[in-house]
Amino acid sequence: MSTPRKPGTPGAPGAYAGHDAEPVPHAPIQRDQPPAAGDVEAFRFPSYHRTTLANGTTLLAARASRGPIIDFSVLFPAGAEREAAGEAGMATLLGGLLDEGTAELSALEIAATVERLGGRLSSGADWDAGSLSLQVLSRHHRRALELLLDVATGATLPPEELERQRSRRLAELLRKSTDPSHLATKAFSRAVYGDTAYGHSLLGDKDTVEALDRERLLDFYRQCYAPSGAILVAVGDLDPETLAAEAEELLQGIEPGSAPPRPDIQPPALSGRRVEIIDRPSAAQTELRLGHAGVPRSHPDFTALTVLNAILGGKFTSRINLNLRERNGYTYGAQTAFVGRRGPGPFLVSTAVGTPVAAAAAREVLHELERIVAEPVEEDELRDAQSYIIGTFPYTLQTVSGVVSRLENLALFDLPDDYYDTLPGRVRAVTREELLRVAREHLHPQDLAIVAVGPKEELEPAMEGL
Amino acid sequence: MPNPSTPSQSPPSQSPPDPTPPGPPKAPTLDLDLTTHTLDNGLRVVLQRDNRLPLVAVNLWYHVGSKNERPGRTGFAHLFEHMLFQGSEHVDTNGHFKYVQQVGGMCNGSTWYDRTNYYETLPAHHLDLGLWLESDRMGFLLPAMTQEKLDNQREVVMNERRQRIDNQPYGQASEELFSLLYPDDHPYHWPVIGYMEDIAAATLEDVSEFFSTYYAPNNAVLTLAGDFDPDHALERVEHWFGGIPRGPEVPPVTHATEPLGGERRAELPDDVTLPRVYMAYRIPKVGEALWYAADVFTYLLASGKASRLYQEMVYERQIAQDVNAYVYPTELSGTLYLSATARPGIDPAEVETALTEGVERYASELVEDERLARARNRMLHQIYVQTQKLDGMADLLSESTTLFGDASRVGDEPQRYHDVDAEAVRDLAADWCQREERAVVTVVPGDRSANGNGVER
Repeated sequence: MSTPRKPGTPGAPGAYAGHDAEPVPHAPIQRDQPPAAGDVEAFRFPSYHRTTLANGTTLLAARASRGPIIDFSVLFPAGAEREAAGEAGMATLLGGLLDEGTAELSALEIAATVERLGGRLSSGADWDAGSLSLQVLSRHHRRALELLLDVATGATLPPEELERQRSRRLAELLRKSTDPSHLATKAFSRAVYGDTAYGHSLLGDKDTVEALDRERLLDFYRQCYAPSGAILVAVGDLDPETLAAEAEELLQGIEPGSAPPRPDIQPPALSGRRVEIIDRPSAAQTELRLGHAGVPRSHPDFTALTVLNAILGGKFTSRINLNLRERNGYTYGAQTAFVGRRGPGPFLVSTAVGTPVAAAAAREVLHELERIVAEPVEEDELRDAQSYIIGTFPYTLQTVSGVVSRLENLALFDLPDDYYDTLPGRVRAVTREELLRVAREHLHPQDLAIVAVGPKEELEPAMEGL
Repeated sequence: MPNPSTPSQSPPSQSPPDPTPPGPPKAPTLDLDLTTHTLDNGLRVVLQRDNRLPLVAVNLWYHVGSKNERPGRTGFAHLFEHMLFQGSEHVDTNGHFKYVQQVGGMCNGSTWYDRTNYYETLPAHHLDLGLWLESDRMGFLLPAMTQEKLDNQREVVMNERRQRIDNQPYGQASEELFSLLYPDDHPYHWPVIGYMEDIAAATLEDVSEFFSTYYAPNNAVLTLAGDFDPDHALERVEHWFGGIPRGPEVPPVTHATEPLGGERRAELPDDVTLPRVYMAYRIPKVGEALWYAADVFTYLLASGKASRLYQEMVYERQIAQDVNAYVYPTELSGTLYLSATARPGIDPAEVETALTEGVERYASELVEDERLARARNRMLHQIYVQTQKLDGMADLLSESTTLFGDASRVGDEPQRYHDVDAEAVRDLAADWCQREERAVVTVVPGDRSANGNGVER
C-alpha cells in the first residue's frame, strides 16, 4: 500500500514539498576519506524445507517475501553431458520440446494456459540438467504446479513439433554461423574438450541435428526424465509444507524410474599453448578466449577458486580488467570464470579487443596468469575479494529466481545442506598461501587454448610466438 | 508480502468514455513506503523503505541524455558517464568501483536518450559510502579530469561500440532505423552510443562544459531504496549533498515530431546469413494512456508462444525464426519497434508483409477479451518481478520523479495496464501505426564495409 510520508508542507500525494526544515549550516565536511560504516546487520540464507517425495523426487521449497509471485523449477539428470559422439544438440533439442505437447494439451494450449496464470514457462537443457521453469502469480500456485508436473512427466514429443524445432534449430545454427562470440566459444570448447561431450556445442551442429531421430529422443526422455532423479524447487509466496503435500499428491502413480549413472568426463591433456584463429575477414574487432579445463563444482577447492577468480578477473577491479581496460584501453571489458558444472567445467578468460592490439591483449592475459601462479596476492587484494563475495551474496538473493538457483545448486552439485550458511565463514578463512596453492594446482598458463575470431591475415603473424 | 489489494488512487485513464464492462476487480497497487523531499539546492530525494534484506540501493538520475547532444558530438553523454568513474577531487581513479566492491557492493551507470543514471547497491551499513561517492562526483568532479583519462576512456568506448554495434551481426540496424524514423535535427535521430568519429573528437573542454551545464543537484533525482531509517537517511543526504550549489536551470529539450508523410526505407548489407526486417512507428510519449496500450500491444503481438505473431509467423507458417516487439519509454515521442528474422529461403518481403498485416489487423478488429486478460496478467507479473530488486524499484522511482514529478505514481502502474482496454489497443494501431508514418530497415546478407563502419552516412 502506498503511504507517502514526507516532511514538509502538505500537498498532492507524492508531490515535492519545498524545504521547510530549519536551514542546515554547511560546515566543511570531511571528504578525504571514505566514511565509516554503520552497524553491520546480520544476514542469513533463507531457511528452506528439503524432503524426498515417495517416488524419489527431491523437493526444496522456501518462503520468500518478494511480492505475490512464485517461481517453480524442475530439473532432471538429462544434461548435454550425456550426449554420445554424434548426438551434439540432442539434450537442448529435447529440453526445448518438453513444453510442446502432452497427451491432453497441445503446444499452443500449454502456452495459453501459462499466460492465464500470469506466468512464463520455459524449458531447455544445459550441461548438467534438462529443466522446466514456471513463474506465476501466487494465487494460481496449485494450477501451476499441476501444469508443470504434467508437462514434465507427460511430454509426448509429437513428431510434427520435433520437426518444427529441428527446422528452427538448423536455422538458428545458420544464423549463429556469423556470430563472433558463438564462434569463439564453440572453437574453445572443441580445443579444450576434444571428442568428449563438453567438446560439443550445446546447440549441436548441422549434421548431428539433422541426424537425431525421435526414437532416440523418446528413449532418452523415458530414461532421464523420471521422478526418482528429479529436483523440484519452489520459492516465493508459499507454504513449504502445503506445497510438499500437493507435490506428493500430484506425482502419485507416476513410475519412479531410474536414470543411468552420470558419465565421467575426462578432458584430454593439453600440452603447450594451442592457438586457433577463426577467420572473419571484415570483423571490426577480435573475440578472444583463453583457458583450459578446470574442476567440478563440487571440488573442495571451489570456494578458494572463487576468491582467486575475483582477484584475477571476476569483478570490475580485477587484475585483468584493470590491465586490459583501464590501463591499456584495449577493450570494453575482460572477465574470467571457473565455470561450475557437474564435471570439470572450463577455466575461461573472455574479452573482445581491437584487432591491432589482440596479440598484445593476449600477452597481458598470459602475464597476469603467470604472475598469479608465481607470487602470493597482496593482503588487501585478498581482503577486498572476500568482502566483495560475502557482501554481494544477499544481493543475489533479492529475487525469487535468485533463491531458486541457489537451491538448485545444493541438490544438483550434492552440496551440504548448510553450504550457503557457512559460505561467508569459508570465504573469510581463505589465506594468501591457500590461494597460491590453488592457483598453482588449477591454473596452467603454459598449457592452454587461445582462440581468436577476427581477420586471420592480420592476426596470424601477430599471434605467432604466444 | 501478502497480495496488496488496496484500491488504486490513480485517476481514470484516458480511454474512450463508454462505461467499462464488468471485468476483473481493480488492479492491486504496489507496496510502497515512501518519503519524498527536496533540498534547498533543488535535489529531489525519494526514500523507499524496505527492510526485507540488509541492503540499500542508491540511485541517481540526471535528466540529461543523448537527446541533449548536438550533431558532431554524438555519444558524448555516454562518454561522459564513463568519465564519472574516473575519480573526483577526493576519490582516486577507479576509486568508485574499488570502494564499492571492497565492501561487497555492486555499482554501474547507464546512458539513454533522456537520462543518465548512476547506481550502487550496498550492504545497508555502508549507506554513507554511496552518498559520499555520488556527492563527490556531483560536486567535485572537474579537478580529477585529465587528458590521459579521457584518451583511455575514448578507447574503451570505441571498443564498446565495436563490441555492441560494429562487430555484431545486425548490430547497425537499430541506429539506421532511428535515423530514418526521426529526421536529422530530431534529438532521437542519432544513437546513444554515438558515431565513431564523434567519440574520437571529444575534448576536455567538452567534459567541463557538459558538467557545468547538466550535472547539478537541481537537474537530478536521488532515490534510496532499502533498509534504513528515513529520518536518518534524509539527514545523511542533507549532510553530503546539501552544500553542493544549485546550477543554472537546464532548458528542457522540446521538439515537435512532425509527420513523416511517407514511409522511409533502407536495405543494409551485413555479415549475416538470414535477412531480418526491422520496423518502427512513432507513438505517444511514455506515461500517456496510449503508451501503456502500446506496451500491451507489443505483448499481444510478440511476447511468448501464445502471442499472435509468434503463432502465425514462427509456429504455423514457419516463415520467421523469431519475432520481437518493444516500446521505448522515451519522453519526446515513444517508439514502437518490431523485428523478425526470415527462415532460410524466405523472402524478407514476405516477413515484412506478415508483420505489417499483424499490426494493421488490430486497427479494425478488437482484441479478444481472453487475450487481453492474459496480457494483463503477464504485465502484472512482470511488474512484480521487476520490483523485487531494490535497484529495479529505485530506478522506477527515479524515473517517475524525473519524467512525471511524482514517485508515488509507481504504485499505480498495475492499474495503468489494467485500464488498457480493447478500444485503446485499436486506437493505437489505427491512429499511430500507419505505413506512411514508419521506417523499415531490411538487413540482408552482403558486405558490411559498403555501409562504412559506424560512421555517419
